Amino acid sequence: MSKHLSQDEFFTALTALFTTQKQSQKGTILLTQKRYSYDESAKETLSEQEHEETLTTTPLPQAPILIRASNSKSKEARNEGKKVKLSTIIQPDDLDSFYARYADVCKAGMSGLKPRDRTKRKAKEKARRKMKTQA
Amino acid sequence: MPYYSKSEDWLHHSSLLLAARPTTTRISTNYHLSPARRTPKSATPEQVVEDEKRGKRGHLVITTFDPKSGVSLKYKTSKAQEVGRLVQMLGTLAGRAAGREEERGVKKEEGDVEMGEAAADGGAGEGQGSGIVMPVVAAAEKQVPQVGGAGGGGGKKKKKGKR
Repeated sequence: MSKHLSQDEFFTALTALFTTQKQSQKGTILLTQKRYSYDESAKETLSEQEHEETLTTTPLPQAPILIRASNSKSKEARNEGKKVKLSTIIQPDDLDSFYARYADVCKAGMSGLKPRDRTKRKAKEKARRKMKTQA
Repeated sequence: MPYYSKSEDWLHHSSLLLAARPTTTRISTNYHLSPARRTPKSATPEQVVEDEKRGKRGHLVITTFDPKSGVSLKYKTSKAQEVGRLVQMLGTLAGRAAGREEERGVKKEEGDVEMGEAAADGGAGEGQGSGIVMPVVAAAEKQVPQVGGAGGGGGKKKKKGKR
């Protein structure tokens, strides 16, 4: 498992990941987020009922969030060193600033999605104008 | 695997799942891009550029998954304008998963009001069927008090079957 990156390094690497995907015109980018509860493994062994009880009686302790990114390449690509895996850990207090940047990087990177369709509205306006000029 | 048709519904159920199983639930965002429609060899560069613009072939799938109970909640879109809103939702959910004070305190009451507003905003912004969203969210809100703990997983599964 690779080492966790800092926020800046993570964003640089993620932007690079999106750029390579854009250039090759295909591929998948997988982003994952979860609570980073590495040393809480003891909690997981609780029974269903106990789990519910601890949840309702004790408030959830603060924990950082683990963010992972990958280009989801197969095993062959992994052997060729084409597999990219990134990860970073965000402290609860840094979440807002992280997600603001995250949104920007994602918006810029996911350019393969359909932009807002304005053709229908334009056509409607045209039709309306025509009606006006006729009347 | 069922997909939610509204991202607000996805957010609502994801936050319930997260409240039930904060330590094991993870959220994946999957962005796929496949090449645009094949371009004929005779196409001029200008045509190619235009084809690229028209043939946007990306889509985004966002999944909340809890390995412990096996609950999986999905939402799929291919609209670019939704990315910002979805990442914002990811941020909200991350705040809850991190157990931040402000999110935790208002989780039961204000969180749900927020959801209703979000649905209304989304519906109005898109200019489409907000009338359909609201009853669903309102109905879901009524169930919230019962769905506090881990039992929520089971309840959600049943609901998923109906969809």
